Amino acid sequence: MMERLDVFRALADSRTDEIVVMTMTATLQWPLVSDHPLDFDFLAFGMGHASDFGMGLALARPERKVIVLKGDGGLLMSLGSLVTMAQYGPENLIVLLLENRTYEMVGGQPLPARVDFVTLANGAGIQGGGATGNGKVERIADLETFQSELPRLLDEPGPHFVVMPVLNTHELPAVHHSDHAGRIRRLSDALAAGEPGATTKE
Amino acid sequence: MADPAVIADRAPIGASARLTIDEIVRLGFTHVIAIPDSESRLLCEAAAAHERLSYLTPCREGEGIAIAAGLWVGGAKPLLVIQNTGLMEAGDALRGCGIGPRVPLQMLIGWRGYAGASQGTQPVDSAYPYTEPILDAWQIPYEHLMSNDDIGVIASMDERANRTSKPAAVITGWKFQP
Repeated sequence: MMERLDVFRALADSRTDEIVVMTMTATLQWPLVSDHPLDFDFLAFGMGHASDFGMGLALARPERKVIVLKGDGGLLMSLGSLVTMAQYGPENLIVLLLENRTYEMVGGQPLPARVDFVTLANGAGIQGGGATGNGKVERIADLETFQSELPRLLDEPGPHFVVMPVLNTHELPAVHHSDHAGRIRRLSDALAAGEPGATTKE
Repeated sequence: MADPAVIADRAPIGASARLTIDEIVRLGFTHVIAIPDSESRLLCEAAAAHERLSYLTPCREGEGIAIAAGLWVGGAKPLLVIQNTGLMEAGDALRGCGIGPRVPLQMLIGWRGYAGASQGTQPVDSAYPYTEPILDAWQIPYEHLMSNDDIGVIASMDERANRTSKPAAVITGWKFQP
């Protein structure tokens, strides 16, 4: 089990020009470790659809890695996305499933206890699947392993689906933005500019 | 809501899938994301076969909407092909990935129940009467594609979506023809 904020710090430290997509609770903590034009932290996005949005981005921008920070509750709201990822997921897509076994954003209600996300991903066909047959499913349960495996995840062809058991012991910050169109525009402008540090039109 | 009898009198046979795809390609769409139904089957087959279109079939419409939003932000130009029933299922995705963030999603929406309603028979379910009121409630502009004479409404949708940076739709009432 990993502290979620430590996972975010490790990812932010290793990340260079990758797009990082998240919705719901992750949007409250990711800005504590990153402020990057290629961050897409949008709390009120369609529920459960972070990885679908990330897949669209990855298909449109094959030259860039797209990292999705997805909650396990969100995945249950769009389970079919695993099947779609197994069918079309491109090599540049990385989905990190933050497994805290609750619907954290709406009060911490527990998820169905018996669900196994690695088994679901394998059953969907992600291992050995994706657009080019390089799909990989794995579970990373401690921070040291995550830190050591990150270079590989960022380098090797995917799509990757990584189940990561996490907890959070920190107080969550308040929602820091409500300009939804601005969040979209910031990312699309940065992509159009082509540079990770590009200024935006906001 | 449109008077089905009026539309039926004008165009009772459905548009050509081939001509519709030609128009979609002419307008520069790069991806067709479809949840096929019996009315759109020929259109989907034509999209899948076209060398200049990438064709994806996700599992549900909400997924498709989010994928389309990502494609658009990444610089591609997606078109969604869904049925009215799927539109109803996908309301939160449309709100969160399209209307709220002002992503100009474009949708061809199959109007299940229209054919029965236009012929004076009861629709088999409630999908027909709710379709236009739902689009109206979400302030999504739409026009009808009922025959080859109407294929220009796709360009109209494209122009309006891009000008306003908001979702726009075309409703198709009849089964696509070859």
